[in-house]
Amino acid sequence: MKTDELISLMATSHQPVDTGRLRRATWLAAALALALTMAVVIGTIGVRPDLAGALTTMPVLAKIAFGAGVAITALVLFQQSLRPGLQPRRLLPLAAIPIILIAAFALVTLAQVPAEQWSSLTFGRYWRNCLVNVPLYALLPLLVLLLLARRGAPVDGRLTAASAGLASGGLAAIAYALHCPDDTIPFLATWYTLAVALVAGVSTLALPRFLRW
Amino acid sequence: MSLDDLETELRPIFLAALAGDAAAYKVFLDAISARLRGYLRRLLARTGRSEPSEVEDVLQETLLALHLSRHTYEPSSPVTAWAHAIARYKLVDHLRRTGRHAGNLPLDDEVYQLAAPESGAADARLDLERAMQALPERTRRLVEQVKLQGASIAEAAGVEGMTETAAKVAIHRGLQAMAKFLSRRGRLP
Repeated sequence: MKTDELISLMATSHQPVDTGRLRRATWLAAALALALTMAVVIGTIGVRPDLAGALTTMPVLAKIAFGAGVAITALVLFQQSLRPGLQPRRLLPLAAIPIILIAAFALVTLAQVPAEQWSSLTFGRYWRNCLVNVPLYALLPLLVLLLLARRGAPVDGRLTAASAGLASGGLAAIAYALHCPDDTIPFLATWYTLAVALVAGVSTLALPRFLRW
Repeated sequence: MSLDDLETELRPIFLAALAGDAAAYKVFLDAISARLRGYLRRLLARTGRSEPSEVEDVLQETLLALHLSRHTYEPSSPVTAWAHAIARYKLVDHLRRTGRHAGNLPLDDEVYQLAAPESGAADARLDLERAMQALPERTRRLVEQVKLQGASIAEAAGVEGMTETAAKVAIHRGLQAMAKFLSRRGRLP
């Protein structure tokens, strides 16, 4: 087939194109994935018994804000990474903002208590559960974002994979906050951050091969 | 024509195309394919390949990718950057598939800025023909009629007893299948 023939074939079958669809689909998919992940958390390990009272307390709000902050910045990156020619790598430092904020908050908290309490404030009771559960629950949003990414045109597969991992980790952190009984900022800053980083790392290694198009 | 001039000229045309103007879309495709042919030829030459048919193959694959990714264009960004990014991605993919190192493709802006449009199309190899053979019978007949006999979609649809919209959808799916066929070719299962 000649190139000119290909061009007329494409032009004659051309129809109006909606360039906003990918953006809307990203936010919609993230919201759906969050709702699904929350449902899975509720159906498996269940919510913390005191959730109704705890939901509006500062530590739980901080967990949700942290997860949302990571997820939103990562989703902006993710969405842009599906559009060739934008160079969203420049925005990558934005993803560090929620992590820097929570780390600063944790340091301030630790500075206000005697050093003997640092360990218990940081490790809490269930840090292992956090480190295992958040990445496991992140698999669901990660799958949703992978399916979405295949509808875009990712020319930088590693960036798409990394931002999808970050976003999934953030969404899973919000969902896990419904269960997580450890209510200290140093705990949040340590284990939530590590869990999110773990998801992002695994995603960056594993996802690019599924993103070729 | 400099890249900036090309951008100034093509952006409004492409925006009109996205709104549904098929004639504008054809103008855009003609201009961008000439530009990308020069760009791809220079990049391929740097990896030591100068077969015009290979340039044409990668160009056709790039055009298919552009077409199927029109929805990924961000309207506030330069359309030439979008098109070149796709061309570069498809070239790297092509080099990887055909077993050459793509790692040392120049990232510098020189080729990107200076590549001149080339309108002389070479004959492609048979890749796209083979991709077409993999299409369902009816879709292939539609494609043949529109492509070879220059029939309008309405005429071709009439011959096949379909509505015009159904024919457009069938051709769209056919192009998708061809792109998939091309990107799988030579890849391990």
